Amino acid sequence: MDSILRFLVEVNKLKETIRTGWIIWRVKNPETIAEHIFRVSFLTYCLGWKKGLNLKRAIQCALSHDLCEVYAGDVTPLFYYENLDVRKKRDREILMKGIRLSKEEKEKMSKIKFENERKSLLKLIQPLKENLRNEIFFRWLDYEKGFSAEGKFTRQVDWIENLIQSLEYLGPKKSGRGWWEIAEEKIFDPLLLEFLKVIQIKFYHRKTFPKSTQEKELKGILEFILKIGKLKRMERTYWKAWGIKNAESVAEHIFFTSLLAWIFGREKKHLNQTKLLKMALSHEISAVIIGDTIPYIEKLPSQIKKRKEILKKWPRLPEYEKAKRFLRQYNKEKKAMEKLTLSLEPGLRKEIISLWEEYRKVSSAEAIFLNQVNVLAVLIQGVLYHKKYKITLTPLFEWAFEKCDDPILLSFLEKLSKL
Amino acid sequence: MAKKFYLTKEGLERVKKEYEELKKLKQIKTSGEKPEILHSEDLNPEYLAMQEDLMFLDFRLRELENILKNVQLIKPPPKEKRNVVDLGAKVTLEDEEGKINEFMIVESLEANPSEGKISYESPVGKALLGRKIGEKVTIVSPIKVVYKIKKIKYQLD
Repeated sequence: MDSILRFLVEVNKLKETIRTGWIIWRVKNPETIAEHIFRVSFLTYCLGWKKGLNLKRAIQCALSHDLCEVYAGDVTPLFYYENLDVRKKRDREILMKGIRLSKEEKEKMSKIKFENERKSLLKLIQPLKENLRNEIFFRWLDYEKGFSAEGKFTRQVDWIENLIQSLEYLGPKKSGRGWWEIAEEKIFDPLLLEFLKVIQIKFYHRKTFPKSTQEKELKGILEFILKIGKLKRMERTYWKAWGIKNAESVAEHIFFTSLLAWIFGREKKHLNQTKLLKMALSHEISAVIIGDTIPYIEKLPSQIKKRKEILKKWPRLPEYEKAKRFLRQYNKEKKAMEKLTLSLEPGLRKEIISLWEEYRKVSSAEAIFLNQVNVLAVLIQGVLYHKKYKITLTPLFEWAFEKCDDPILLSFLEKLSKL
Repeated sequence: MAKKFYLTKEGLERVKKEYEELKKLKQIKTSGEKPEILHSEDLNPEYLAMQEDLMFLDFRLRELENILKNVQLIKPPPKEKRNVVDLGAKVTLEDEEGKINEFMIVESLEANPSEGKISYESPVGKALLGRKIGEKVTIVSPIKVVYKIKKIKYQLD
């Protein structure tokens, strides 16, 4: 198997790996690692934009930060303490209460965790070519060790995403202990400290209003990020229509597409990589408002047999009908994008909407490329579902053969068809 | 010899519009206050981000200039060749179940399959190019898809 394909098939496992912390807290249907990476990446984009960071580097740090968990699993450093076992009630209680540890103990456990994750990442990226392998490894290392401003920033954003998720899942009271303590201990960036304050106001002092312009803008980002969180566990309609249980979510698809955009986009020297990554993150967020959709198909029968009959072939339509349906969908998504981004400050809002617009209209070099990368992301998932659930791949390949003309992506498609 | 870009009238308008918008954007970016090169002792990330933006803006502008310099408007072929699929053709296809599908064959720059416009360099585009009305075309995916060309239409000026 092609080295990149082998790597991507392994990374795809992150879409099925539930984050351990939520299992301990008995959260129903909790997020996967891929979904967490998606929101860390988007939060990094929004806050990094405000901070004026190198967003290509920052988003790449975010996208790579948990790749090691394909083999290492999602493990908090505490798991290395006295061999705690989440399956044992007593151990779970200890973890939920949180353990007060000395600085030396914490350092020792973090060291073990780091080594374990380093080895896992190296195993994962081992099949890749040297320059790509190094790029992924150094972005991850940057996140771990904070060599650059972007690495330091993303690591702190990761803690913030954990905190926001805990507040959403457990509510302000339960989340109060562990996550706040960790966030207050780990976060030192002035902008992120202010963002913490805004989170506190939102969840604990609802009647307090932000005072400064900066606070208002950060509140806008928080509102937006909370909405974006709905894409976690929002199963993709196409897979659901095939009857797949616990199908890939929109957030997982966005994470995977963004990773693909990074890996294949780096070969395209004429493309603006930062723009490509930001576009990949924004390309399907309108689903928060209108739900996930399938191209051309507006309604499917409820009976699974009839539904599968329709899905067996890619829709055949006259050109005017394609254009009509596209325009209808485009207008719906545009309205959704405007509504979804309403809380953001004008500059950032305009950027996200125009990135989405370019993508949907296929109106720039980056959009042409990303549209094809998106097909590839769907196809990889399709091939894996085909192996597991025997779904028909013909319509997806038909779609891909209409959409793709990039030589690198076409040769990858060829390999995929033989998998 | 420089590569020719074959565009429809609408496609050319779109390229011109993007070129003008990017030129304006570059003007705005370079006329405002520039971020300092150094921030404390490190290179200022804002400065680097702006340099990177400008670099890609310039790159895209050059790319568009090249397209505009080497553009050739797609013209309908002479009457006797209008039964052959070429750039700019709207092709009506019929599958084995009698279902109708339609594509317009365009340059990669203009392609938007969601609207029915496909690139002549895509596998479907390649399979159709040069074929005539009545011919059967096989698109090879893991399972073969066979279409019969029912109609070829060119937009005439």
